[in-house]
Amino acid sequence: MEQQVQEREAEELTLVTRKSCFGLPTACPHSLPVFIYLKLAQIPFRLDFNSIYPDSDQIPYVESGTYVAYNNENDGVIECLKNDGIVDLDSDFHSLPDWVSTKAMISSWLSDAIMYELWVGSDGKSAYEIYYSDLSWPIGKALFLKQVYLVKQRLGITKDNAEQRENKIYKRAKFAYGALSTRLGEQKFLFDDRPSSLDATFLGHALITLYALPESSVLRSRLLEYDNIVRYAETLKLELIESGSSSSGPHFHSVPSSSAPRKGPSSWKSKPKSKSKREKTEEEKTFKKRAKYFLAAQLVAVLLFLSVMGGYDSGDVELDEDDEGFAYD
Amino acid sequence: MDSLLQRMKKGPVSLRVHDVIIKGNTKTKDYIIEAEAEELKSVGSMQELVEASHLVNLKLKALEVFDSVKITLDSGPPELPGTANVIIEVVEAANPLSGQIGAYTKAEARSSTVEGSLKYKNLLGYGDLWDGSLAYGYDHSAEVSAGVYLPRFKGFLSPFTARAYLQSQDWLKFSSYKERSLGLSLGLFSTRHHDLAYNLAWRTLSDPSQMSSRSVRRQLGHNLLSSLKYTFKFNRRDSSMRPMRGFAFASTTQIGGLVPDSRSLRFLRQDFDLRYAVPLGFYRAALNFGISGGFVFPWGNGFLSRPSYLPERLFLGGNISPLTTFGGPTTLWGFKTRGLGPTEPRRQLNDESADPSGVDFVGGDLAVTALADLSFDIPIRWFREKGIHGHAFACAGNVSKLTENAYRDFSIKKFAESLRTSVGVGLVIPTSLFRMELNYCYILKKSDEDRAKSGVWITFSGN
Repeated sequence: MEQQVQEREAEELTLVTRKSCFGLPTACPHSLPVFIYLKLAQIPFRLDFNSIYPDSDQIPYVESGTYVAYNNENDGVIECLKNDGIVDLDSDFHSLPDWVSTKAMISSWLSDAIMYELWVGSDGKSAYEIYYSDLSWPIGKALFLKQVYLVKQRLGITKDNAEQRENKIYKRAKFAYGALSTRLGEQKFLFDDRPSSLDATFLGHALITLYALPESSVLRSRLLEYDNIVRYAETLKLELIESGSSSSGPHFHSVPSSSAPRKGPSSWKSKPKSKSKREKTEEEKTFKKRAKYFLAAQLVAVLLFLSVMGGYDSGDVELDEDDEGFAYD
Repeated sequence: MDSLLQRMKKGPVSLRVHDVIIKGNTKTKDYIIEAEAEELKSVGSMQELVEASHLVNLKLKALEVFDSVKITLDSGPPELPGTANVIIEVVEAANPLSGQIGAYTKAEARSSTVEGSLKYKNLLGYGDLWDGSLAYGYDHSAEVSAGVYLPRFKGFLSPFTARAYLQSQDWLKFSSYKERSLGLSLGLFSTRHHDLAYNLAWRTLSDPSQMSSRSVRRQLGHNLLSSLKYTFKFNRRDSSMRPMRGFAFASTTQIGGLVPDSRSLRFLRQDFDLRYAVPLGFYRAALNFGISGGFVFPWGNGFLSRPSYLPERLFLGGNISPLTTFGGPTTLWGFKTRGLGPTEPRRQLNDESADPSGVDFVGGDLAVTALADLSFDIPIRWFREKGIHGHAFACAGNVSKLTENAYRDFSIKKFAESLRTSVGVGLVIPTSLFRMELNYCYILKKSDEDRAKSGVWITFSGN
């Protein structure tokens, strides 16, 4: 009975993210866009959390039965879902002139800005709450310090250029907000009044900036200057997150892993080449394994010869009766 | 001298020790040697004194920090008749550094390890032994550690050990995860029968292959392990490599989560092992029986529906002989490492030409194994001289899941019906470095997904 319940749970589409906090279903900048994307596509899914692996780039991931889409494969979970034919909100937008530049702006400037603000810009409390609050203190602290160091390295921040880099990051974020505010205007979504993956990514960024960052945050105050973005964020938050929380619908969209899903051109592989390549490496593997066993057998034979021919030690403990002097006067 | 020996033959010659004089120790603290020589103060006769001196000599040698120990008995001050002085002369180790390489099979390990270590004796003069070691296990595990052994630490009754280690273990092939631990273990109390140790570790589970099954994926991450382990061992067998008579019992209890922090790993694990050997009289034959079992369970809020921690679960199978591992259920003849028990399907890639990924062995919460082994000498003199003997064996075992409410579906009947069994015969070749078994195993009963094969098996166990 319990096993059946668990098996059913495993077949449902499940999104695993970092934990929920600050009133958001998840406050991790990589995870929230995926959540919003699935909500925009109106796909029912379960939400599960992994709060003990803050330094993993595999999270968030989407799973259903034996199918898994990790965030560190194929440019992210959203791209994986597109390529595997599960959901694609962007099919009509690729041809638009601004699409690529807007995408590049969000995924570089805004992504850098939120990363900087969470780990370096603000006091780090928000990042600690999102990533490390469920880990025991010594581990959480050590991983937090390690991550701060890595972020500084990634953003090229050193002691000498810290202030300059900070100004550059905030300036670029402001430009991006301005451009996106103009693009948005009074529409409901960024492009053509229809939801797209860029809405998911930008909305994720905006919600985290508004709700998870402290009030003293510079990035947050920059974003608050654009009323239409704030309205956009709050309206969609109400619609997607607060009404009808991620509870299950009457039916679940289970990903057919056995039947062939629609594949985009990017995932076509040249089959004959890959097959012969794999056969070759299989042969090499078998050969290497056999060579390893042969060498191991030789070594064992030598050791055996030396120790058996050398004599067998029964392993008894012997007490040695040695120097004990008796002196009597 | 002759008259003294005559008197000693007739009966106890009453004597007491006036003073214990210690010579030759430049670095070693006096109280360390005095503590080992406690018996001398309470002797009442010459015979007792001789016996006690012999014992003290052995104890001081066992500290491993002296090159030689000489105990001389002298008469006491002339104004106090019937007293004696004991003079202990020690020569401290000239070369404090020593190294060794060996093959071992630890109780918790599923395979043998080759270990090389460097020891430094008596750095601080407390009889302390410092060592650094590197160990590599056959099951893709590696460990680098440093430790200290203090025979007398601030009045503790038993020796105190502390060890800091960095260990990594690769289970990708069997369960799609890698384990890395950075920790400190303290041996608090250790006597012949009892052992109490505390372990504090930072354990990380990761999956670089990204092919793990669902329940393994859920457990990837960092955890703080703070546990106390108590072992009780009672061994009345004549030998642990080829037991022919006697019985032995071991029980290990481990409680994790002993910090007030509810985020650390909370679990309870109990293992037990019972062995019995009966000699049969002909060809030095002996029948060995053994039964061992274990269970693991999380504790704390909602423990019934939570999963147990993956590395602490019970796994059966491995390339060591079940006869030599004593402490809990570990292996069965004929079954590969982690080769039996609950499984879960791995991730399937969305590529039609990809081979099926197989399954992960995720271990269980309850395991039981039983074995019966008949060992006998081979009637050829050359084999007998080398200690090579034959054996015929049979074993059975099973692993089952109980956590995450699976205990509701559990029944002893189903557990017994799905017992895996195997039988076989073989040759045992003991050497000074390791013990090798060359067996032919026949699997009588196994489950479809088990990794077991009937055929020739070679197992190695460390001494």
